Amino acid sequence: MEIVKFTLGRLLQLIPVLLGITLIAFLLLRVLPGDPATLILGNRGTAEDIARLTKQLGLDRPLWQQYLSFLGDMLRGSFGQSIAYRTAVGPLILERLWATLALVGLSTLLAVAMTIPLALIAALRRNGVVDHGIKIIFVMVMSMPSFWLGVLLVLLLSVVFPIFPVSGYGDGVVDRLYHLFLPAFIISLSTASLTIRSLRSSLLDVMKADYIDTARAKGLRQRVVLFRHILRNSLISTISVLGVHTSWVIGGTVVIESVFAIPGLGYLLVSSISARDYPMVQGLTVTFAVLVVAINLLTDVAYAIADPRVKL
Amino acid sequence: MKLDLATCLKTNRPWRQGLMLATILGALSSPLFAMPADATTLRVAIREDALTLDPIASSDNPSIWTELLVFDRLVRPSKDGTKIEPGLAEKWTISADGLDYTFALRDAKFANGDPVTADDVVYSLQRAAGEKSDWARFFKPVTKYTIVDPKTITLHLDKPFTPMLNNLALFSASILPKKEVEAKGDDFFKEPYGSGPFQVKQWNHGEKIILAKNANYWQSGKPAVDEAEIDIINEDNARVLKLKAGEIDAIVDIPFNQVASLKTDPKLNVGVASVFRIDLVQLNTTKKPFDDPRVRQALNYAINKDALVKGVLRGNGTVADSSLPIMAYNNDALKPYPHDVAKAKELLAAAGYPTGFSTTMLVSSGDVTARQVASSLQSDLKKVGVEVKLQTIEGSSQYSTTKAGNFETSLSYATSDTIDPDQLIGFTAVNPERANAFHTQWKDARVNELYDLERRTADGPDRGAQFKEMEQRVHDAAPFIFLYHQGTPYASRKNVEGFEVLPTSNYRLEDVVIK
Repeated sequence: MEIVKFTLGRLLQLIPVLLGITLIAFLLLRVLPGDPATLILGNRGTAEDIARLTKQLGLDRPLWQQYLSFLGDMLRGSFGQSIAYRTAVGPLILERLWATLALVGLSTLLAVAMTIPLALIAALRRNGVVDHGIKIIFVMVMSMPSFWLGVLLVLLLSVVFPIFPVSGYGDGVVDRLYHLFLPAFIISLSTASLTIRSLRSSLLDVMKADYIDTARAKGLRQRVVLFRHILRNSLISTISVLGVHTSWVIGGTVVIESVFAIPGLGYLLVSSISARDYPMVQGLTVTFAVLVVAINLLTDVAYAIADPRVKL
Repeated sequence: MKLDLATCLKTNRPWRQGLMLATILGALSSPLFAMPADATTLRVAIREDALTLDPIASSDNPSIWTELLVFDRLVRPSKDGTKIEPGLAEKWTISADGLDYTFALRDAKFANGDPVTADDVVYSLQRAAGEKSDWARFFKPVTKYTIVDPKTITLHLDKPFTPMLNNLALFSASILPKKEVEAKGDDFFKEPYGSGPFQVKQWNHGEKIILAKNANYWQSGKPAVDEAEIDIINEDNARVLKLKAGEIDAIVDIPFNQVASLKTDPKLNVGVASVFRIDLVQLNTTKKPFDDPRVRQALNYAINKDALVKGVLRGNGTVADSSLPIMAYNNDALKPYPHDVAKAKELLAAAGYPTGFSTTMLVSSGDVTARQVASSLQSDLKKVGVEVKLQTIEGSSQYSTTKAGNFETSLSYATSDTIDPDQLIGFTAVNPERANAFHTQWKDARVNELYDLERRTADGPDRGAQFKEMEQRVHDAAPFIFLYHQGTPYASRKNVEGFEVLPTSNYRLEDVVIK
């Protein structure tokens, strides 16, 4: 019951967030020079052609009318007609949403799978060779542009040793996961380089706490002390870092999407801005806002699971 | 306190981890994951996805290229882009007064087996000239259609309009199956078919378009492949890598600096298409000092254009002498402005700028080649005393900015959809027409007069002479710095025969054979 109430509360909060975000996206786009009709017609259009297309697209109306009709479209669950694609925005976004979600989900899982063991080793062997090794490797990974790292890994793992496909999205669930592994791995490296540092330092803090001595004094086994007491108590700050970084990844996968030819939302957003496809950009803005709110929600739920004192 | 790593991680079932790792690695490398090799599927990778496959609403290359594969037009450009050849129309006649165009349709069928009739032609062309069409202007000159019999049709014009035949070869003049389009409306264009060599089987937006062979295609024996898959790969390097890895059979748009190394790859064929494109710098002739033709000529002399072609294009292009691509009626007598610094300085001095001047140049921010060219222009112009400040501008804003006249100079380019110079002369040299001589505001009464005349003169040497004179006048008055014609590099694997990019930038996949 608690969680339902909490979720509903969050959804209510979404309304002012969306209103604000759509208004900003709406106005910013229209401040940009360049209008869709001119871009579409280019060197083929006369002034009359451009005026006719502008009217046909409904862009000759006053701004407030355009904004209201966009809100109306949104309430009806569609986002209007895309200017570039000449078809409904909703299905186009939905078609690509899964690629982005799969990429973000898989990369987050991989990041978690890397973070917990590596941070544990680094904390337990503090200042040891492994600790320094992990630190150096991930600082390097963090400083490399993901575009470059991507091309390097493709050269190594797809061209020289053809283990993974160079790019593409595949058909069917298993093939898709196989195609998404390398791009997700590259994204997860940058996530993990943050979360490993964060988890390692909170592990070290918690290890010094009195209750850990108590746990050991009452004769608990090392494993139980480590996983039930130290790790669990150290997770909170890392969950925050993971949540924030994942929200960022959602809108920031465009480079990886381009390198690996994954039909996700990032590239759609960039190309839609270039085409001044107002309805598409507005639809995508709303989609991203909803996703970020959803991730924050998941982060809060994860807090509650990790720390029973946290009430939703 | 101290915790011991070994004790913490000790598990009584160490084999479990090993087994799991082995399973994962095994699964990833098993042949289950490899794509089955299908010899009759041709996979072509291009940079961008099509936006819409409705011919009257398209303006982007990927949409146009796909439409050209799916639909037929009455006539089409020849492969070398020099003349119009039969398409759906087996033959045609144009009346002596240039007002009646009569087409005899060949015995062609749509992919669903229905015959292509004069009815479909009228429907499609009227649709292309209609309210919903972005290209109506191209087809408005036809005022009346007469269906002589189901396979013969006459188009009537009020007054002669010579570019008409070319316009009928445009993607927007595609002949659609009337019955189906009327029944399905806009939904028809989600997975459309026509009488062309292929039909759309599946379209995964942003990922790929799968084209299936049209079994009813009128050219017997074509297409040679059963399916053609158009893969969308935005990243230039990724396209090249995928071709090298053999995951793709052919690619278009190769970065210029990779062409030479690809040519040495024994598994690949590399070609460079001379597409109808002209790269130039627009000079705003309403602003000083660009109102003086001597200044504009001086700038043309100041640029080492050969160096641009060699350095930036890596030899994949030719130096330009006017604002027209090398196409029909090209004025062969014209020579590009040579690189002559002394002459440039002399002209600048004569115009009253012996020490040069300073100016600004708009450059598209997303275009790597453009940025390289711009800095090269900057250093060449500095040598004649012209200081250029480069202003990078987002690509989509550049056209609106020059259109509004808020610029001094702007590095840009133009491409032609048709094989007739009418479209680009109208765009780059005629004022006002569509773009006030590509926003330079240059105005030449004789060019305007010749343009009007050319559109009424029957195709032939007379019309050719008119184009040549216009080209000469543009060359002399130099409202642009004419730079070069950049080629489009493309490549295919050795077992792929007949893949080529045509001067019109598209490809005819029906001619491709996989060995």
